[in-house]
Amino acid sequence: MTVLLKARDLTVRFALGKKGLFGARQHLEAVRSVSFTLAKGRALGIVGESGSGKTTTAMAAIRLTEAAGGQVLFEGEDLLTLSDEDMRQRRRDIQLIFQDPYSSLNPRARVADIVREPMDLMEIGTPAERDVRVRELFQLVGLRPDQLNLFPHQFSGGQRQRISIARALSTNPKLLVCDEPVSALDVAIQAQILNLLARLKDELGLSYLFISHDLGVVRHVCDDVAVMYLGKIVEHGPVEALFEAPQHPYTQALLAAAPSLARRKSKGYVRPMKLSGDPPSPINPPKGCAFAERCPKAQDICRQSPPEAREAQGLHVACYFPG
Amino acid sequence: MSALLDIKDLRVTFNTRYGEVTALDSVSLHVNEGETLGVVGESGCGKSITALATMGLIPSPPGRIAGGSIALNGEELTSASEARLRALRGAEIAMIFQEPMTSLNPVFTVGAQIAEAIMLHQKVSRDTAMKDAVALLDRVGIPSPAERARDYPHQLSGGMRQRVMIAMAVSCRPKVLIADEPTTALDVTVQAQIFDLLNEIQREFGAAIILITHDMGAISEMADRVAVMYAGRVIEEASADSVLDTPQHPYARGLIDCIPALGKGDTALKEIPGVVPPLHLLGAGCAFAARCAHANARCLSEKPLLANHGHHPSACHAVEEARI
Repeated sequence: MTVLLKARDLTVRFALGKKGLFGARQHLEAVRSVSFTLAKGRALGIVGESGSGKTTTAMAAIRLTEAAGGQVLFEGEDLLTLSDEDMRQRRRDIQLIFQDPYSSLNPRARVADIVREPMDLMEIGTPAERDVRVRELFQLVGLRPDQLNLFPHQFSGGQRQRISIARALSTNPKLLVCDEPVSALDVAIQAQILNLLARLKDELGLSYLFISHDLGVVRHVCDDVAVMYLGKIVEHGPVEALFEAPQHPYTQALLAAAPSLARRKSKGYVRPMKLSGDPPSPINPPKGCAFAERCPKAQDICRQSPPEAREAQGLHVACYFPG
Repeated sequence: MSALLDIKDLRVTFNTRYGEVTALDSVSLHVNEGETLGVVGESGCGKSITALATMGLIPSPPGRIAGGSIALNGEELTSASEARLRALRGAEIAMIFQEPMTSLNPVFTVGAQIAEAIMLHQKVSRDTAMKDAVALLDRVGIPSPAERARDYPHQLSGGMRQRVMIAMAVSCRPKVLIADEPTTALDVTVQAQIFDLLNEIQREFGAAIILITHDMGAISEMADRVAVMYAGRVIEEASADSVLDTPQHPYARGLIDCIPALGKGDTALKEIPGVVPPLHLLGAGCAFAARCAHANARCLSEKPLLANHGHHPSACHAVEEARI
């Protein structure tokens, strides 16, 4: 198993306003020393509630958000210390698919030009070769050649997401960061895009960093999962182990909250584990475990010092009382 | 027993630049006291228009109710005066909208907005109404309700705002509560809280709930009965168990099969190819035919009607002819 991307103690800090003219500047730690490894040809899912730092983690890992500390090794090379031009050259290996297929495509450009643009910017191949490649990509993602010269508004949400995928693939990337790629789509269309992403991963040997709040989607696409809560990974491991026997109480609550066809009102289904309230504010995070105040298992130690990640049932769990 | 809310052959049309377009075509739905009816389908299937028509909130023009009836407790709503509708809305029938940010007024405190709804329908003083509002906020699980009642919508999280919407909707103990995708903008954990709250409120007040959603998982957890809509028509209707276990219409089957399950992940998802057709392009045949693997010449030329073909009602020639 070759490692493609390895993040070590990645931290992201955002500056807040000063308290008064001479007051100290406050900071918000959106990502708090997160480490993960993504192997070649695999998909790592990052799940969590809004505000948990999923997107910021991924953006910092590919240097679209500035990291305050840590290391990101892409094929052994630290992305955070590369010069701007070296990083720009690296970008052809790293591409991105956004959540909203309506705002992520230029409404005034023809879709063939949208798909072609990364190759123009990276000066990949001759102009004629680029045209051929655009046609190949259209076929690969399930669009027709007669749609090449249309504008984005002439496509449905699912088709636009296909255009986004074609654009991302145009530079032959090794890593695709998918930021909630299906959450803006209808369920029936979601399945089309998820199947496409699964097929492309196998055919092209791509690796995904896959951000989603939908556990079913992550279960379907990913090989490994990391669960984030208030800027930290609280549990990570292979997808089967995590879904069959989650060890962290937060993961258990997330799974209990996800709607499922197996949970029937007619059969008197009552949620076994309920989460009340909202996550705490990241501005002054609790000094112990961030989940402690919503956790049914919390003891005094949980509120005093944050738990370190440890192995339990094939998973890495940051909890004093896993299981 | 007659239904609490009974919609029969409802037809809603809109004037568009493509001419008159039929958004709802002979839609019949009913919901009984204490029951949850799930209405499921993709965007553009007419779910929300059904809800708006029931509330008497179809924007007119361009829209109008072109036929059919909506009866609440035996009272006809389609011919009711605007004054009568205003008296019923909020008191007898209330709605929770999808977007709690845009459906609350940003310049009033949430307490004042709930109190306003109470004062519109009950002869109580502002003080009493405010006290009721605080009690309602407490009931929907908002911590320190007295302080939160003085907050403006932007000071609350999405889940809190949706709770405020629910508090407002149930403030006059309506008999029918319409929830239009109440959790779409929320995290799964908050969605679970809102679903649990709706179920509790139903047990307590005995309200009938119409839950509009595109998620069969939500239907499974919440609904007693399900109506599946496609392109402005009800194409399948039965108990939730019946629809989930033995879906008849290929579209209903597709909606169930395309959900990525929590249990297993290896097999490819079944997909429904294509998209819902624009309403002005609907032809003479079945609106789903272009996306359907079982379509034949009859499907393209003749609209199937909702009828019981053995198991439970569905509108499909292939089911009728026992081809699937």
